[in-house]
Amino acid sequence: MPFWAQVREIARKDLVIEIRTAEVLLMTVPFAAAALVLIPFAIGTDAPLLAELGPGLFWIVVLLFGVLVILRKSAVDEGPQQDLVRLLGIDPAARFTGSTVATSLLVLLFEVALLPILIALYNPDLGGWWWMAAVLPLVAAGLGLLGSLTGGVTASLGTRTSLTPLLIVPLALPLLVGATQAVESLQLGRSILPWLVLLAAVDLALAVSGVLAARPLEEVTT
Amino acid sequence: MTQPKARWLEITAIVVVIAAVVRGLTVEADVTQGDVQRIMYVHVPAAWLAFLAFGVTVVGSVAWLRTRRRTWDRLAAASAEIGVVFTGLAILAGMIWARPVWGQFWTWEPRLVTTALLFFVYLGYLALRRAVLDPEQRARRAAIMGIVAFIQIPIVYQSVNWWRSLHQTSSRNSIDGPLRLTLWLAVLAFTFAYAVMLSRRLELARLEDELEQARLAGTPDVAGAAITAPTLEGVTRG
Amino acid sequence: MNAKTLVTLDDVGLSIGGSVILTSAKLTVAAGEKVGLLGPNGSGKTTLLRVLATLLRPTSGTGAVLGAELGTDEIYAVRPDIVLVGHLPGLYPELTLGENLRFVARLTGRDPRRADEALAAVGLAAAADRRARDSSKGMLRRTELARALIQEPRLLLLDEAHAGLDADAIGLVDAITGRVVAADGAALLVSHEPDRLEVDRSLRLVDGSVEEA
Repeated sequence: MPFWAQVREIARKDLVIEIRTAEVLLMTVPFAAAALVLIPFAIGTDAPLLAELGPGLFWIVVLLFGVLVILRKSAVDEGPQQDLVRLLGIDPAARFTGSTVATSLLVLLFEVALLPILIALYNPDLGGWWWMAAVLPLVAAGLGLLGSLTGGVTASLGTRTSLTPLLIVPLALPLLVGATQAVESLQLGRSILPWLVLLAAVDLALAVSGVLAARPLEEVTT
Repeated sequence: MTQPKARWLEITAIVVVIAAVVRGLTVEADVTQGDVQRIMYVHVPAAWLAFLAFGVTVVGSVAWLRTRRRTWDRLAAASAEIGVVFTGLAILAGMIWARPVWGQFWTWEPRLVTTALLFFVYLGYLALRRAVLDPEQRARRAAIMGIVAFIQIPIVYQSVNWWRSLHQTSSRNSIDGPLRLTLWLAVLAFTFAYAVMLSRRLELARLEDELEQARLAGTPDVAGAAITAPTLEGVTRG
Repeated sequence: MNAKTLVTLDDVGLSIGGSVILTSAKLTVAAGEKVGLLGPNGSGKTTLLRVLATLLRPTSGTGAVLGAELGTDEIYAVRPDIVLVGHLPGLYPELTLGENLRFVARLTGRDPRRADEALAAVGLAAAADRRARDSSKGMLRRTELARALIQEPRLLLLDEAHAGLDADAIGLVDAITGRVVAADGAALLVSHEPDRLEVDRSLRLVDGSVEEA
């Protein structure tokens, strides 16, 4: 079976399972939205301040709560399912890519769902908003890739849910920097391009690492 | 028993460390900062070692993936353990230094931020190792994580650098003359200390492995031995 | 290696996380053989099946499965010819039985319609749209047997071959293993009920090594 057909099968399987459990849409999105409601109680409800901090808060919420999208149930194959997929003879790189595509799409959905809530609550400057069409997918892909890599390393470990965030968050800094500075550059009227290049470079480095690590990762079972 | 070679390494390390301490405390003080600047002789070498140690971990990881030899995994693990200590030391020394000089414990200087993140990466790496019982699985997962993290570190550094360029100009003060020489001596001393710790830790890890092997060889605890035929006779009635 | 030999293990040892599971397992299975595997609880039968399925690398010794040397990259080529039915179902709980099988069919390059045929063959035509999580243990087991019908493996490994199956389904196990064996494949069945095993010969796993029973 051709590589991309395998990728499509794996991604579709992950997404169908996600649609049935609705973990991201019905649990993670409301949780993150509630956080956006709570934050002003801690930092004050001063309108100009919220408008200024809003974009940064959005990205930090996407990064930290996005880890829950990465940890969702449909991202993990339990022991017997893992055996099944390994024995079906799927190219490990296709499996990595397929689950990354699914996770990235869900992170993108997560971002898109939170965006209107942020705009409504914080009223940020929306200048150059169409650039978000590039920034959101690049960040989603980066988180999806980091998620598949770290998720692969922590697969079937008892402490997976605590360990994975610890592994993801320090390495996600370039994504956070790229996203927040892209938005800030827009507001300052500077070029957004370097930050998009940064995001793309991070995605590329992670994608190459992931494809190369796929085979050794495939043998990770206990 | 310590081997003669290791003994010489240790003696050299002690001599160099003493020399560095004496030199660091007696060399003329910095003109602007005064005595507080001396903490640089701890901060900079510790940060250097943090990166060196992680580099060695990556070498061990790649070599393990290629050869599957336990020695390489032990090297990766030992270096990471020492690395986390030095990373912590670098951050702590940096904060103690920053307080009197900049009036605050922390600045968002790129190297500082990268070192701090490195600390968390190490912690995650060591936590991952702790979480896996099977040696082969532990080595495999840790090797992949070690390499992936290593590839990301320069990107992290560069991203903080760029981020900072948007906010403030980078302040890099240069040092020269006797101060520079002292710094180099300190770096040398720290590197020797690292080498000693690494060789000791590797020896310890090797002994741990041997002990484990001996334990396995000594007890014929093959699968199934834990289960015997059920008997209800020993169960008392209440 | 004999062309008709599908499985050989030579002094295979395996330890996981410090516990020794296999010490020196020796085993040969030829094409057309149906072999039973017996042994007390916890003796490592499941682990042995996973070694034969190429999912676990031996710690020591050598072995070959379907011509692929264990522990080398050769295993990737033969994996699709191996079906392992473990004691936990290799099915996605949130997918229906039909979807689970179509997933397998598509990934192994079979016509997805064979999934429905296979489900009908194991008597689950009416349950194709039922999610795996809402299905009984016996139904899941039958679905897994249907997977063997779709994949037509050369090596079929059944763990606890008769657990949770009714009389009809036990007949099904015999029929499906019979099909594999008739096509010059081999089947290995783990069971705790030697009397119900219809096999050519039986092996017993004791103290980490394999004996003829």
